[in-house]
Amino acid sequence: MIELENLTYTYPSGEAPALRDVSLTIAEGQFVLLAGPSGGGKSTLLRCLNGLVPHFSGGTVQGRITVAGHNPIAAGPQTLSRVVGFVFQDPEAQFVLDHVEDEIAFALENAALPPTEMRLRVEEVLQLLDLVALRDRALATLSGGEKQRVAIATALALRPRILALDEPTSQLDPQSAEEVLQALVRLNQDLGLTIVLAEHRLERVLPYVDQLIYLEAQQPALSGPPRDVLAGIPLTPPLVTLGKVLGWSPLPLTIKEGRAFARGVTRAAPAAPPPLVGKNGQALLQIEGLNFAYNGKATLRNVNLQLRGGELVALMGRNGSGKTTLLKCIVGLLRAQQGAVRLAGRALAGRETAEICREIGYLPQTPDDLLFADSVTEELTITLRNHGLLAHPPLVPAALLGRLGLTDVAGRYPRDLSVGQRQRAALGAITITHPRVLLLDEPTRGLDYQAKEALAALLREWLAEGMAILLVTHDVELVAQVAGRVVLLSDGEIIADDAPALLTTSPLFAPQIARLFPGQGWLTVEDVLGEVRR
Amino acid sequence: MADARALLLWAVTVLLGASYSRNPLYSLLLLLMTLWVYDTAGAADVVSASTGSGRPSPLAPLRFALIAVPLGALFNALTSHFGATVLLRLPAWLPLLGGALTLEALAFGAINGLNLTVIFSGFAAFNQAVATRELLKLTPRAFHESGVVLSIALTFIPQTTHSLHRIREAQAVRGHRLRGLRDWLPIFTPLLVSALERALGLAEAMVARGYASVTDTAQPLRTQGLLALGLLVLLGGWLGYLFTPALRPVLLGVGALGVALMLTALWLAGRGNRHTVYRPRRWRAQDTWIVAGCLLALGTLLSRRAWMVYSPYPQLAWPNFDPLTALGLLGLLVPGLIPAREKTRDAGEMGDE
Repeated sequence: MIELENLTYTYPSGEAPALRDVSLTIAEGQFVLLAGPSGGGKSTLLRCLNGLVPHFSGGTVQGRITVAGHNPIAAGPQTLSRVVGFVFQDPEAQFVLDHVEDEIAFALENAALPPTEMRLRVEEVLQLLDLVALRDRALATLSGGEKQRVAIATALALRPRILALDEPTSQLDPQSAEEVLQALVRLNQDLGLTIVLAEHRLERVLPYVDQLIYLEAQQPALSGPPRDVLAGIPLTPPLVTLGKVLGWSPLPLTIKEGRAFARGVTRAAPAAPPPLVGKNGQALLQIEGLNFAYNGKATLRNVNLQLRGGELVALMGRNGSGKTTLLKCIVGLLRAQQGAVRLAGRALAGRETAEICREIGYLPQTPDDLLFADSVTEELTITLRNHGLLAHPPLVPAALLGRLGLTDVAGRYPRDLSVGQRQRAALGAITITHPRVLLLDEPTRGLDYQAKEALAALLREWLAEGMAILLVTHDVELVAQVAGRVVLLSDGEIIADDAPALLTTSPLFAPQIARLFPGQGWLTVEDVLGEVRR
Repeated sequence: MADARALLLWAVTVLLGASYSRNPLYSLLLLLMTLWVYDTAGAADVVSASTGSGRPSPLAPLRFALIAVPLGALFNALTSHFGATVLLRLPAWLPLLGGALTLEALAFGAINGLNLTVIFSGFAAFNQAVATRELLKLTPRAFHESGVVLSIALTFIPQTTHSLHRIREAQAVRGHRLRGLRDWLPIFTPLLVSALERALGLAEAMVARGYASVTDTAQPLRTQGLLALGLLVLLGGWLGYLFTPALRPVLLGVGALGVALMLTALWLAGRGNRHTVYRPRRWRAQDTWIVAGCLLALGTLLSRRAWMVYSPYPQLAWPNFDPLTALGLLGLLVPGLIPAREKTRDAGEMGDE
């Protein structure tokens, strides 16, 4: 179905090729996962399949590519649109109209299909993607998962033989991501549609994958059955990492497969009590009886929470449960109707956001919104100037950039950097004031394993220095790695506030290792390796 | 949902009403009717459990009124010093502002603000009642591409407003305060960059979905020539009409020929656009009722214009009110009486545009 032979591609402004000498074959009806670090060439490869590269991006191509008998480089993306359906990361960024059915029909109208044929195809994709009940809805009223299913439906309406998806779940919460993945599995298994999916969270997709392609910048592409490829790559999901270390063969890809091996793993010593990180420190941030309502709808109800120095609390819960609202209330972007927020005993009520954020760093969900300067260093100095600290900065910008691993790119335009680097630049811009409390809203969204590891290491360093961190995330693996406490929020209320072991019993939030070893209290690979008899 | 053409006629009639009426009683009546239509159209949108968004606030036009009416009153009172009822006097040496501040000037300005609110509310209701796709269908075939651009621009507006809000928050958390014009730079730069990124992303998505794959956007020389010729003939006819009164009947014909040539060129250009229409909407009885209501209101506006005239000068007095005129204007209420977004799917017919 797809054949690449020695494909090399360089962007117009690129110094080195984004794809170097890639050769691979994808058979019809396969579910293919494209993995690899950011900047490895996943998006570029996907765009080569439908001719967006080089027709839309420019640049130079060498080698041969054949997609369902077409040469995308010669035919161009408009011709290939009938063969390859394409779904982008952000569903909202690809909508032209404002209602579900109109949006699906838009591509068919422009393809000048006869109306009877259009009607048939729209009905077909509405049913395939389980969107019949939503057909008349305005797109703005849909959830993230529903929007992404509409985006898939619009791509499928032209009845392509291949569906290419560029990290379609990276902007979604776990439930919505699962919704989208299940839809893809159905399309692959029931219709035999060839699916090529770029994704960072391998653990979500691996159970369904026939072929794994691993792309890393300037390295030869690895392609083959998932087990074979996973054995040779560095960053893998916790289950696979553990399997590799303990020599499990064949390498398990699902929790079910892993359990057979897990039964043979026994604890060498009785479980040690979990470390009480920060429990004895002074309460730095206190939230007392916080209530917030938006347009009459209660979003936070009597929220009480304390954070001590050196403590990282993970705030979890479904989308819309009030997590971001709580962070915004803390820094004064939203004014709570009742309750108080205190920093080291002092009430924050009545203080401006700009003033509060001198002592409480807040990283919003979209770090790009912070970045506008010409260089990374300048981003830091602008924050210092805003706070009137330029003459006597609490931290030296160059030193902070060093800790953030950004020294090499200090002079570069921030928006040209990778997702992980941009996120760290934004972190630098809010922590240059040396805040005592840090609030992070979904900091791992769109990050690859490597960038996540770097972030976890940085958070541990800051905790060791006494910073208190409140982390809003859906990423249970990160929580398992760094959190000292987990708070679950539901419909604006705190329903649980306990040690991370709380996660081991939750079917919704349990990390892979906790599900592999139920009842053992282990959350991470390190937990297991530290206590097992090998 | 009513037909976009019928609703366009409704919006134009409201606009005419707001321009004609100096009588606050009729302006108020127009405002109440547009608010009713706005609220009925908004009631159709399902509120999402996850996003909490969907139905617009019925207060939006009223919020506009809260700003437009007092501001209009204040501005007029400060700049126009006519009227018998003097409330206070500003020192004469103050340029423009110096002089009497009168109740009549305040009332005149408030009526202007009220009329502005009627226009705002009318367009808000039109925007609420007509889906973007229906707007797209209002554009002639030759201008299909421009229609798509317009529909994209309309979907960009709420997205950009959302981005602006988000970026302002993001900059506030790094200590940024809005004090002067220069302080907008950290807001506008990311806003502009994200809008450009979004535009590029959308362009890429549209190409990937085969946009313009069957349409030849380049018009043949013949069509372009015909359009230019039509324009020249029309211009010649018009100039001749102005300077040679004796030949006016003939020159009217020349002008008509120019228009016909231009329309032919546009028709030819539209033929190159080969898009089809998924569900063309069939004209229904409710649309006829809306048009009838608009015609009634238009007729009232033209025939009973004298009742719409009112001036608070020289001394404020109670405006006249004619029940028949009010009854005629009530024709504009028809879109508000049609059940909210009664979907036209089953009534729709399919066919080439």
